[in-house]
Amino acid sequence: MLEARDISVTLGRKQVLYGAGLRAKPGATTVIVGPNGSGKTTLLRAITGDLACRGSVWLDREDMRALPPHALAECRAVLPQASVLAFPFTVHEVVRLGLTGRIALRPDAAQLPARALDRVGLAGYGGRFFQELSGGEQARAQLARVLLQVWEPVQDGVPRWLFLDEPVAALDIGHQLQVMYLARRFAQQGGGVVAVMHDLNLTAMFADHVMLMLDGRVLAQGAVREVLTEQNLSRAYGCRLRVSSPPAQGATYILPQAAEIA
Amino acid sequence: MVALPWGRGTERDATGDRSERARLTILALVVFVMLAAVASLGTGAAGVSLGDVLAKWITGEALSLRERVVLFDIRLPRLLTGMLVGASLAVSGAVMQGLFRNPLADPGIVGVGAGAGLGAVLAIVLGAFLPPAVLAFTGMHLVPLAAFFGGWATTLILYRVSTRAGRTSVATMLLAGIALGALSGALTGILVYIADDQQLRDLTFWGLGSLAGASWAKLAAAAPIMMLALLAAPMLARALNGLALGEGAAAHLGIAVQRMKNLAILTVAAATGAAVAVSGGIGFIGIVVPHLLRLVMGPDHRFLLPAAALLGAGLLLLADIISRLIIAPAELPIGIVTAVLGGPVFLWILLRRRGIVDM
Repeated sequence: MLEARDISVTLGRKQVLYGAGLRAKPGATTVIVGPNGSGKTTLLRAITGDLACRGSVWLDREDMRALPPHALAECRAVLPQASVLAFPFTVHEVVRLGLTGRIALRPDAAQLPARALDRVGLAGYGGRFFQELSGGEQARAQLARVLLQVWEPVQDGVPRWLFLDEPVAALDIGHQLQVMYLARRFAQQGGGVVAVMHDLNLTAMFADHVMLMLDGRVLAQGAVREVLTEQNLSRAYGCRLRVSSPPAQGATYILPQAAEIA
Repeated sequence: MVALPWGRGTERDATGDRSERARLTILALVVFVMLAAVASLGTGAAGVSLGDVLAKWITGEALSLRERVVLFDIRLPRLLTGMLVGASLAVSGAVMQGLFRNPLADPGIVGVGAGAGLGAVLAIVLGAFLPPAVLAFTGMHLVPLAAFFGGWATTLILYRVSTRAGRTSVATMLLAGIALGALSGALTGILVYIADDQQLRDLTFWGLGSLAGASWAKLAAAAPIMMLALLAAPMLARALNGLALGEGAAAHLGIAVQRMKNLAILTVAAATGAAVAVSGGIGFIGIVVPHLLRLVMGPDHRFLLPAAALLGAGLLLLADIISRLIIAPAELPIGIVTAVLGGPVFLWILLRRRGIVDM
C-alpha cells in the first residue's frame, strides 16, 4: 500500500499543491488525471522524491523519503516525462542501466535487456544509438529500462512499484495500448502502478483507481465510474463534457463521426 | 541533432553491447602503455641505450654509475611522473565530462588547471608565512595540496555557477571557466610580482609545463594524491553512467547523487591539482583522450575510466618522447607538444558537435 498524505509543494513563490493525498494499492493501476497545471506531475515528483515537499509518503508503513536511494531503487522505478541523454549510448546500454541492485546478480542478467526491449516492441533495436531513435521509440526504450529495474513485479513477497509520468504522451495509438497493457500486466502480477495521464479514454479503459486533480487539490478519488462523471470532468476541465459508455458486446453501435459522405 | 560517432550500421554490434570491444581496447592499451614506457626509458640526451643495459643485465656485468644515474634517477622518475600525470589528466577530463554531462568539459579549458596553478603559486610564494605546525605537517606535499585546493575551489564555483536544477548550461560553463581562469591568472601574476628571487626561480622551474624537472622527491610529493584520485574514479563509474540520464533518473536508479557529485568534484580537483603541481599546465589530454575512446568503445564509464587512464599515460609518454627528440639535445616543453597535437583535435570535436554548445 502506497499512501501519500497531505502533500504540499511550493515552487518558487507559487504554491502548487495544497495538501493532496493519494492511496494506491498493489495489484491495481492508479491513474492521476487533471487539466494542465493542476499539479499531477508535481504530485508524482513529490511522491518519487524528485521534489522537496511537506507531508509524508508511506510505502507499507515505511517512510519512503527516509529510505536510502539504493533501497528505494529496489522497490520502485520511475519513468520520467522526457529526458536528454548526454553521451552516445546505444539503446542496449541505456536499457542496461536499469540492471541495478539484486536483478543484476541473476544468472540470466545478460539476456534481460534484450527481453525488456522485446517487451516494449523494440526487439532488435539494441544496437541503434539512443539519440537516433524517434521520440516515441526513445520513450519506449526508457520504459524498457524502467521495466528492467523492477523486472519481477513482486520480489520476496513484496510488491514493487512503477511510477509513470505521461507514459503514452509521445506514442501512436497502437503503442499507447501496448504500453497500457504492459502497465496493467505489471499490476495484475502483483506490482503497483501509479501513472499520470492526459488521455481520459485510456484512463477509463485501464485505471482501477482514478484521482482527479484541480488547482493543486484532489477533486475526486475512486473507481472510474465514480470519478469520471460529467459533473466532475466539466468542473475540472472548464468545459461541458459528456461521458458515454459503449454498448454491451455484440450490440450494433454506429458512431456518426466515423461516417464519410461520398 | 547531435552528431554521432559512427554512421548508421557500421561496425556496431547488432546487440548494442560494446563491453567486449571495450575489454579488448583496454587490453590493447595495456600493451601500448608498456611499449611507450620501454621507448621512454630508452630515449634521452645522455645516449644511454636500453640495448646496452639489457645486454649487461643478461651477461651479469655491472652498470656504470652514469648508466645507473641516467636510468634510475632521471628517466625512471620521469617515466612514472609522465604516466601518472597523463592518467590523472585523462581521468579528470572523463570524470568532469560525465559530471557536467558534456563532452567539452575539461579541467584545462574551464579554468580548473589555472585555479590549481594559483594554489601552487600561492604555496610557493606565501607558504613561508604559514604557521610552522602546518608546514611541518604538510612538508613537501604543500604545493600539490595547495594546487588541489585551488582546483577544488574552482570546480565547486564552476559547478554552482553553471548548474541550475541539475542541468548544466554549456555556454555558462565555458564562459565562467574563462572568467575564473582569467581571475586565477591575474592573482598568479600579482603573486609573481611580489615574489623574491629564490621564489621566482622555483616558480619558473615549476611553470615550465614539462616533465624535465621530474624527480623522485617531486613524484613522492604528488603521487599519493594522484593515486588516490585514480583509485576513487572507478567508484564513480556507475554514477556517471546514471547521470547521463539526468540527476533525477540517476537518483531513481539508486545512486546517491549528491555524494557522488561531491566525490567527482574532489577527484577532478585532486587529479588535476596534483598533475599541475608536478608538471605545470599540460593541455588537451583531458578532452582528447576520453573523446577518442568514446568513438572506439562507447561512453560506458566502467570501461571509459580505466581506458582513459591507460591512453592518457601512454599518450603523455609519447608526447614526452617527441618533446625530447624534436629539437635534441634541447627539449621542447611537453605542454607545447600536447597543444600542437590536441588543439586541432579539440577544434575537430567542436566542429562536429557544434549543436551541443547551444544547449
